[in-house]
Amino acid sequence: MNNTFNINRFGLLLKRQWLDFGKIYLISLMAIIGIVIGFYAWNVPAPSRYNNYDSDGNLDMRFRYGLFLILGFIFISVVASSYFALMGQKSRAIFELMTPASTFEKFLGAVFYTAILSLATYLVLFYLVDLSFVKYINAHLSEFKVGGAKTTFPKAAESISAQIVNEENYRNYFLHLIAIPFLVTSIFLLGSVYFNRFHYIKTAISVMIFIGAASYIIYKSASLLTRNMVSVHHGAHQNKEDLAFLLIFLVTTALTLIFWAIAYVRLKEKEV
Amino acid sequence: MIKIDNLNFGYNKHKPLFRNMSMQLSNGHIYGLLGKNGAGKSTLLKNLAGLVYAQSGTLNVMGYNPAKRQPALLEQICFIPEEFYLPSVKIDSYLKANAPFYKNFNHSYFAELLKEFDIPASNKLINMSYGQKKKFIIAFGLATQAKLVIMDEPTNGLDIPSKAQFRKIMASAMTEDRCIIISTHQVRDLDNLIDTVIMLDENDVALKASVEEITEKLTFKKVKEIDDSIIYAEASLSGYNAVLPNYHNEDSKLDMELLFNAILAEKIKFKPLFN
Repeated sequence: MNNTFNINRFGLLLKRQWLDFGKIYLISLMAIIGIVIGFYAWNVPAPSRYNNYDSDGNLDMRFRYGLFLILGFIFISVVASSYFALMGQKSRAIFELMTPASTFEKFLGAVFYTAILSLATYLVLFYLVDLSFVKYINAHLSEFKVGGAKTTFPKAAESISAQIVNEENYRNYFLHLIAIPFLVTSIFLLGSVYFNRFHYIKTAISVMIFIGAASYIIYKSASLLTRNMVSVHHGAHQNKEDLAFLLIFLVTTALTLIFWAIAYVRLKEKEV
Repeated sequence: MIKIDNLNFGYNKHKPLFRNMSMQLSNGHIYGLLGKNGAGKSTLLKNLAGLVYAQSGTLNVMGYNPAKRQPALLEQICFIPEEFYLPSVKIDSYLKANAPFYKNFNHSYFAELLKEFDIPASNKLINMSYGQKKKFIIAFGLATQAKLVIMDEPTNGLDIPSKAQFRKIMASAMTEDRCIIISTHQVRDLDNLIDTVIMLDENDVALKASVEEITEKLTFKKVKEIDDSIIYAEASLSGYNAVLPNYHNEDSKLDMELLFNAILAEKIKFKPLFN
């Protein structure tokens, strides 16, 4: 018997976790759909409303970026933070730890539910709601007035997914920032296995303290290192934007892997 | 089946719970684990199940180190904790989700046990009483056919008929390749069930002896007056319940409660008898 990983056992574990986790998860998904639909219904341009356009004269759909990011952050962080949270209860921890599956399989199950499934379902749900509203708006473009002229229609709205596919800038951002949601889930997953109570708050405070301390140290060290130096501005062509994006991608990926590794070790060390 | 060598454990580094504890447990026995509150009964069971890690020493359970929590060992351990968790699902769903982890799970035996314990199979686990839940978890644990059965206060919360059912079921669950360890405060619940007594006191095993060995070396009887031959006695309505060395090979029934108190009070006097 392979005591580290067995695909059948892993499948059984996912199935068993779903029994516990699934109902709450589906309820939270329903809540997410409700919130997204509510926000869209309230904010999408409508022929009866004024101020339907952004500064470029396109239908104003900018609210959805903030909604996507904030709601997405809350959803994936809450899901990740609650995964091992119940292990703070002795009886629950015994039930989980005594299940005949390896720690690695239990950890992979956690990654599957918190990073892959939660993210994928959120993206799919948001995509479907976004697409539905965009299609609806585009089907009623003729009802919108541009500058009071009834004969000019506004440009068709684009779904977020279409923007990512069609526009290089969006695609570039998307590809290089793709590890950030995984980083968020890895941090909150670690928090859920590290703390015994108040996982979400404690993790959030720890992250804030860490970011604050790191920013202060970087600022102070940069100030010290560049003391008595003169600031030189390069031309725009010399800005290494691609390198910065690559670094963001590499650093977020590395941090995600590190936090997952620590979460695995903490799970292995978990005592009841 | 279980070998404990120089086990050192404590929740606090400066306050050890076990100091160089060593012991061997074999299959084919039902061990009764006794000890005062805080003596470490539950902690010893958790060490055996790999739920806590020893500070030093070695633990060998069926050839595995329990601290590694390997599935091959976990599927051979049936651990019934004092406080347990059951999800909010029906028995059938629980079974479908959990039984496949145990390749020797016996569905018909499980159904038999549910019947014996009088638990309706269509019940939702969350709606059951504490006693019913406990009986369910015991039935599931035994149906896994695990070779090592560890039970922490299994009779807590069981009503009087259920305690009798429990004893009957445990006695029938005992097989040659199984080792059952039951920790309890309610020693009378284990009467006629356990065959070996393990008593923990002062960071170590104060006594580990079979019921046969104990009744061979000691006799438990009622006496009118205390004399020098008595190792330990407790006043009763008609005299004293006493523990004496069994010099004349008398047959007596082990009074576990009396033995427990006797060992705690007169540990030094008993030591030469069981070493």
